[in-house]
Amino acid sequence: MLNMDVLKIINLGKSYPGVQALKDVNLSFQKGEIHGLIGENGAGKSTLIKILAGVVSSDVGEVYIGGSKAEIKSSKDASRAGLCFIHQELNLVEYFNVMENIFLGHEYPLKCGPFIDWKVLKRKAEEILDKLQVKIPLNIPVSYLSAVEKAMVAIARGFAVSGKIYFMDEPATALTDIEKEKLFTVIKILKNQGKTVVYVSHNLDDVLRITDRITVMRDGTVVECRPTGEMTRNSVITSMIGRNLESAFPNKNATPGQIVFKANSIKNNNIHNVSMEVHAGEILGIGGLVGSGRTELLELVFGITSLKEGQMFLNEEKYLPTSPEAAIERGVVLVPEERRKQGLVLSRSIYENISLMSLNHLATAGFLDHRKLKRKTEEAGRNVRLKTSNYSNHTGTLSGGNQQKVVFAKTVLNPPRLLLLDEPSKGVDVGARFEIYSIIQELAARGTAIIVVSSDFNEILGLADKILFIKEGEPTFIIENSNLDQERYLNYCYGREK
Amino acid sequence: MTNAKIQKKSDREFSSGKFIRTWGTLLGFILLLLIFTVIRPDVFPSGRNLKNVVEQVATLAIVASGVTVVMVTGDFDLSVGAIASLVGIVTAMLMKAGVNTPLSILLALLLGTGAGLINGVLISYGGLSAFVGTLATMTAFSGIALLISGGTTIFGLPENFRFLGQGSLGIIPFSVLIMAAALFSVYILLEQTIYGRRLYAIGGNSEASYFSGINTKKVRLLAFGISGFFAAIGGIVLTSRLYSAHPQAGSPFMLNAAAAVFLGMTAFREGEANLLGTLLGVLIMGVMGNGLNIMGINTYVQSILTGIIIILAVLISSLAKKKKV
Repeated sequence: MLNMDVLKIINLGKSYPGVQALKDVNLSFQKGEIHGLIGENGAGKSTLIKILAGVVSSDVGEVYIGGSKAEIKSSKDASRAGLCFIHQELNLVEYFNVMENIFLGHEYPLKCGPFIDWKVLKRKAEEILDKLQVKIPLNIPVSYLSAVEKAMVAIARGFAVSGKIYFMDEPATALTDIEKEKLFTVIKILKNQGKTVVYVSHNLDDVLRITDRITVMRDGTVVECRPTGEMTRNSVITSMIGRNLESAFPNKNATPGQIVFKANSIKNNNIHNVSMEVHAGEILGIGGLVGSGRTELLELVFGITSLKEGQMFLNEEKYLPTSPEAAIERGVVLVPEERRKQGLVLSRSIYENISLMSLNHLATAGFLDHRKLKRKTEEAGRNVRLKTSNYSNHTGTLSGGNQQKVVFAKTVLNPPRLLLLDEPSKGVDVGARFEIYSIIQELAARGTAIIVVSSDFNEILGLADKILFIKEGEPTFIIENSNLDQERYLNYCYGREK
Repeated sequence: MTNAKIQKKSDREFSSGKFIRTWGTLLGFILLLLIFTVIRPDVFPSGRNLKNVVEQVATLAIVASGVTVVMVTGDFDLSVGAIASLVGIVTAMLMKAGVNTPLSILLALLLGTGAGLINGVLISYGGLSAFVGTLATMTAFSGIALLISGGTTIFGLPENFRFLGQGSLGIIPFSVLIMAAALFSVYILLEQTIYGRRLYAIGGNSEASYFSGINTKKVRLLAFGISGFFAAIGGIVLTSRLYSAHPQAGSPFMLNAAAAVFLGMTAFREGEANLLGTLLGVLIMGVMGNGLNIMGINTYVQSILTGIIIILAVLISSLAKKKKV
């Protein structure tokens, strides 16, 4: 049996300041198996993969590859050991063409000394794309490709070198069903060739369908590792969550008031005929799969994209924002999905970040009122239980959870009428999550209407009063959030009623 | 336990690195003053010479304070030299055509601001990169200056125009007062106003600024307008100082202003354009030029040394940063 283990991990541990990311992880992957690796956000999957990829180093523990001890200190070590990584984030160079991107970071075939052998490069790229059964022109820059094609290029890159073990981190999120089938076919081919595929995904249906064995992680440890045949969707979910759903969320104490926001069959390129109402103090969850138009819906309400048809009303007045600036002026605020990219200016101080959205209220005639700014900023920081010794520090020095609290402090400083939340706990560790949820409930109790989007269905089930499900930009169901379980929730996401 | 130790160690490294990053350039400047004082104790530290230095850098400081505003957002303005030249020529031609001096100056200021706003429109609404956009307008503006002046120097300006660049209030040269006013107003703008906060926010993360309700395009547009305005003041003061207008008189501003801001980015704040830093950068360039002149070193060698100083300053501060990528 031991000979079958192509990769074995023994007692692996890793801690970051304040967080035990991995603890006593024991795990083995076998030759010729498709191995599912699942767990909630922050369960330790990414840390584990980063260690194997040589991006971060472990504190303790050993890794054996093919029976001998491996030291993976860099991404070169990892690829030399036969580990290939296909990431969910598409790190493509937009101006390079398809074949250049496929071979980016790998060794280019050479001829006559240092010159790239374009013929060989082209042939190899064609082989890889043929294997994936996709047709993408090789000579055009990646920037001209659709999102799906880009995803296929990123996947193709993982196949440019022949490895022993392929790690795929949410490879299918950007793919259509047809492309996904192609990917699964390729995965099967790899398995038949005796390779190992480690498949990391939040999509439990996919994982249950294609894998041979499943490992479930929670809070940095392996809680379960069994053949897929012995597991069901419910048993997987139970071991993923491992605790009572209610206890992860604070109690609601808001009583819904008047209608704050109303949309009448709003439409643009991504959103089709969505209607909704949100009352003061109410939390509306948006249910749906990745790519169903959830983020696009928030962007439309926040004025990033513009309305083609339909009407929106805010406190019974017409609402037609043309920019985030206009939306914020009307009291509509978005907590964006990409905290580091869209939510914060990491190189500036905590003071500056918290006050950035409300500068007009902290100045007279354009000149900053520093005393008021300091008082209001620190007050907002205290309200979100921000842990920092010095508000003059760069925001980039804070932990993920504290950074997200700074984003919330921006909204708390001047509470909005309508708050839009896109993945409010993304990348936040378990401990800080409860506090984020408490802040959301407190804002609701103060009369803010809230719309929340999340890929974490527990979050929607734990926070929302009612849920609007959308699929491909179209509304499917509006359901009161009572007696909903994960299975029914997912069925609604897929657009079917059970 | 080990974690705490590592944390502490990196804190200490951080603080010594931070000291160099914050104060290194200022220490370098003081060292420069000491070196010149030791070499020429009779000439360099005299009140008259130091006044000379300040007077020489006044126009550069005015232009560089405008460029600082643009560089805070992470953009770049190569056109300030050409704007200064064009504004000088236009002021001179207006006065020679019989327009009175104050009105000529006012119109020239409007011209410079307008030229800056053209940059802003091209870059923030047209989507050109700041480098390409201002490189193109620089070429065009200097073409206009050469065309309307016929490529020659304009002499014979009215007597009341001399005061800006050559007059003085008490013992303080008037150009130095204008410099002080320019520096002070930009300092207030950057540090005390909403607009300043927005500039720095955009420089740090333009996308997050947009999501925070900042009209990033408008803010950047205005920054180029401000840069053009100060380039115009610099051009007018320079024309008055030379008491003549040459269609390429302002061209040294292009690189010197950028160099001063870059030098300033190595001082006081980590890698950020800031006004005190710009002032320090301007002074370093002025003192270098003056000191080397006094020592009788020829101007070509001076250029080489200035280049080396800039490389050293930026290198030292980026080494202290220990950036991995």
